[in-house]
Amino acid sequence: MKLSFTGRRALVTGGNSRLGLELSRKMIEADLFPILTARSEKGKEEIDRCLSEFEGRYARLHMDLSQPASIAEALSGMDEGIDYLVDFAQSDFEALVAAADPAKVAGYFAENVASRADLLKRVSRIMMKRRRGRLLFISSAAANRSDAGQGFYAAAKLACEALYRNLGIELGGRGITTVSLRPGFVAAGRGEKFISENRRRVEAKVPTGRVLTAEEVAETILFFLSDSARGFNATEILMDGGLSAGKTKE
Amino acid sequence: MKNLEKISEVLGDLLDIDPEEISPENYLIRELSAESIDLLEIAVTFNSEFGIDVDDDAIFLKNLRVHLEEAKEKAQDPAEHLCRTYPFLPRERAAEILGDVTDGPVLKVKDLSAYVNFKLAA
Repeated sequence: MKLSFTGRRALVTGGNSRLGLELSRKMIEADLFPILTARSEKGKEEIDRCLSEFEGRYARLHMDLSQPASIAEALSGMDEGIDYLVDFAQSDFEALVAAADPAKVAGYFAENVASRADLLKRVSRIMMKRRRGRLLFISSAAANRSDAGQGFYAAAKLACEALYRNLGIELGGRGITTVSLRPGFVAAGRGEKFISENRRRVEAKVPTGRVLTAEEVAETILFFLSDSARGFNATEILMDGGLSAGKTKE
Repeated sequence: MKNLEKISEVLGDLLDIDPEEISPENYLIRELSAESIDLLEIAVTFNSEFGIDVDDDAIFLKNLRVHLEEAKEKAQDPAEHLCRTYPFLPRERAAEILGDVTDGPVLKVKDLSAYVNFKLAA
């Protein structure tokens, strides 16, 4: 199946993540033009380093969800429009619900939920001008089943899934649709360290006996952006090799 | 009224009405059946067409009743409070709104026009 895309410009937030970079390469190869956002100098350098052979075929912007003004700044003057959004931007906060510092909690939700609502408002209004757009939220299998300490991460992901879902309900009739993808264990980025230190144990939990590769997640994302996946809207897709489907093993 | 033709064109297109049949005195919601998704599209289109920033809450007189309650609580003149909250509205319009607010959503085409011209003059 050859994927076809109506539209070219893809905003990839948190573009300096392993998955974001892998996706951007595949996008460029599919003749899409990724606009990657990052919030640190290190992140921006990483993007340019990884995509060095593709000079002129991608763009890089500063955007930091913890700095709301940077969202407005990044999205001002997007006269050529945005056709796709793939949203990887997420910060971590690991804490037991009964032990978390309230100020940190408030800050975490402001950054990862409230700022995201602003991102969605701005991006969807840009998309409304052309009456078409596809927004993909990179959620997590933790939104389905989580471990101790992941409550705030899961809460943020679930809250954002609801925003994406409602956007798809509200604007679906205007050609703007949304999907949230919930990847499970991926051998890249956030979970990489944990997986490399606990490989056997992790693999034993997953019915397929392996973790996901960055490449297959990127391919899945491209599929969900493509015209072939137009029927998916305002929904969450779990991609975890069957991990949450079974009863817990001893 | 400046820009009325263009505004009527936009409304006609988004609400599927003949622009010739749209007058400044038409109610957006009561008569022209605009829904919240239509108002959103109107805001986005005005932003493109006129190059102005559109504050949805202001242009569509959202939270009107809340502001009137506020005026009551603070014992302020309601018409004056409306003009402060919605600086693009002429005084006569604020008075008109006060008489109309119990009959449903007060938003008229001329309010949109007032907002657009206010933003363009700024």
